[in-house]
Amino acid sequence: MKSLAYSVLLFASLSSSCWAQISTADQLDQQGLAATCANCHGTNGKGLPNASIPLISQLSSEELLAQLLAYKSGNRAGTLMPQLTKGYTDAQLESIANQLGQKP
Amino acid sequence: MNNSRRHFLAHGAAGLSLLGGFSSFARAGLDKAQILVIGGGFGGATAAKYLRLFSNNTANVILIEPNASFLSCPMSNFVVAGMRSMADITSPYDSLTKHHGIKLIRDSVSAIDPDKKTVKLSSGSVIGYDKVVLSPGISLMTNSIEGLAKANQAGVTLQAWKAGPETLMLYKQLAAMHDGGVFAISIPEAPYRCPPGPYERASLVANYLKQHKPKSKVLILDANQDITSKGALFKKAWSEQYSGLIEYLPSHNVTGVDPKTKTLRFEVQDDVRADVLNVLPAMSAGEIAIKTGLANANGRWVNVDFLNFEATATRDIHVLGDAIQTAPLMPKSGHMANQHAKVAAAAIIAQLNDWPINPAPVVNNTCYSFVSEQAAVHIASVHQYDAQAKTFKSVPGAGGLSSEPSNTEASYAWGWAHNIWADTLA
Ligand SMILES: Cc1cc2nc3c(=O)[nH]c(=O)nc-3n(C[C@H](O)[C@H](O)[C@H](O)COP(=O)(O)OP(=O)(O)OC[C@H]3O[C@@H](n4cnc5c(N)ncnc54)[C@H](O)[C@@H]3O)c2cc1C
Repeated sequence: MKSLAYSVLLFASLSSSCWAQISTADQLDQQGLAATCANCHGTNGKGLPNASIPLISQLSSEELLAQLLAYKSGNRAGTLMPQLTKGYTDAQLESIANQLGQKP
Repeated sequence: MNNSRRHFLAHGAAGLSLLGGFSSFARAGLDKAQILVIGGGFGGATAAKYLRLFSNNTANVILIEPNASFLSCPMSNFVVAGMRSMADITSPYDSLTKHHGIKLIRDSVSAIDPDKKTVKLSSGSVIGYDKVVLSPGISLMTNSIEGLAKANQAGVTLQAWKAGPETLMLYKQLAAMHDGGVFAISIPEAPYRCPPGPYERASLVANYLKQHKPKSKVLILDANQDITSKGALFKKAWSEQYSGLIEYLPSHNVTGVDPKTKTLRFEVQDDVRADVLNVLPAMSAGEIAIKTGLANANGRWVNVDFLNFEATATRDIHVLGDAIQTAPLMPKSGHMANQHAKVAAAAIIAQLNDWPINPAPVVNNTCYSFVSEQAAVHIASVHQYDAQAKTFKSVPGAGGLSSEPSNTEASYAWGWAHNIWADTLA
């Protein structure tokens, strides 16, 4: 079992460089919304590689949105995600996918 | 005192005079404002980090926390049951300084003066603020049970509901118990910190007893009429895996403790004797919130404006986490404290930038509980802000429970723990 300190350090080295600049209220709201995913998927979508929760930051925004909507509609099975996505509007899911996915 | 002098109050410990903000307007802009975050738990540490991220690392953030390291209550039941060590639930705070430029003060706040906008530290220093983020967690109302304060002081009963030395002490008492002994956990009426936490603890202790002392028993003495969270899932696991090892007694409200005979007294039922006593009394907001006059919900919890988590009792003090009077169906959890922190941090940064505050924040909760060392279950919910009702409302049809305990969910639960620790601290 790896200690918490170890995984925290590993995470920090991965995450610190890639935070988007925020210069409008809209951008702040969008970052705030995307941050509701960070508890499980890591700050800015960059989760720990060894943490067993699927990594999402390699996905494009389009792929991410398709998966979120598939969970929401019931087309994709899962433990938590079908339940959580149903709590967000489609527009919110799109905003999250735009924040956390890689843009083409 | 005029505004520019108001913040020049820091004195006492060397170096603290550097900490005074010098705002010369009624509301300081983002570059001038001094933001004090009090409490480095799930709510406070997350708020400090996201205040920096949301401000492009420009906000002036000071985190005040007495503990040398972050101690996680989630996963602490594994320590109680002898399956993990304290090191597994402990992390240093210094990445918040190294990676995010947050100033750390290792001290506790003894008083907040909302009129002068100052906080006083136990060391005697006084620091001015423009904004306070307060996430002090809970205090345990030991006086609500006769004899409990003394029994806890003597270590005859333990709470271990704030992760720390008692977490390990409780394991040691369990390990020292003879085979055939009784481990009793008592649960106060809701609301209390972490609704499923006591049932998870009972499950993991039973898991330990099954392996090491199979003639023993876990006795759950619940002041509530039934299990407050994940009831059917816990009951299924208990009957399938711990038959004869766990006894669940609802509507058992502890009113007194006799430390000499290790006996608990109840409102209605006969006394109960046990070998290890884990007594959880009623809880309230952390002491500093109550002392500051913020706890205007029954004198126990802090009412907040859910758009920015500002205490309704006073301006510019934003309260998070377990200390607040939660919205309906919103649990007191670490996951939720982290979510509160992000809404509050964004609102504070918007306010200091003179931007409109997000009128429609969203928060979610996911909480895993282990029913054995290998299997876990979850509960989830999503809460959208309702402008008319001025509160968060959980979205009907969203959220829910696991269908059954599973190993997959256990591995997600550990993944959740590592990722939320990193999101909060790294
Ligand atoms: C056994 C157990 C299991 C749990 N499992 C889970 C789980 O699986 N998932 C989950 O989401 N939640 C879980 N929780 C709940 C979770 O621990 C709490 O909801 C969470 O810690 C609340 O965060 P907080 O910031 O409000 O308080 P805390 O995390 O308690 O932080 C409060 C901090 O404030 C500091 N402080 C207090 N007073 C002062 C002062 N005057 N000056 C300066 N600092 C001060 C304290 O030292 C502390 O560090 C569990 C709890 C327990 C007990």
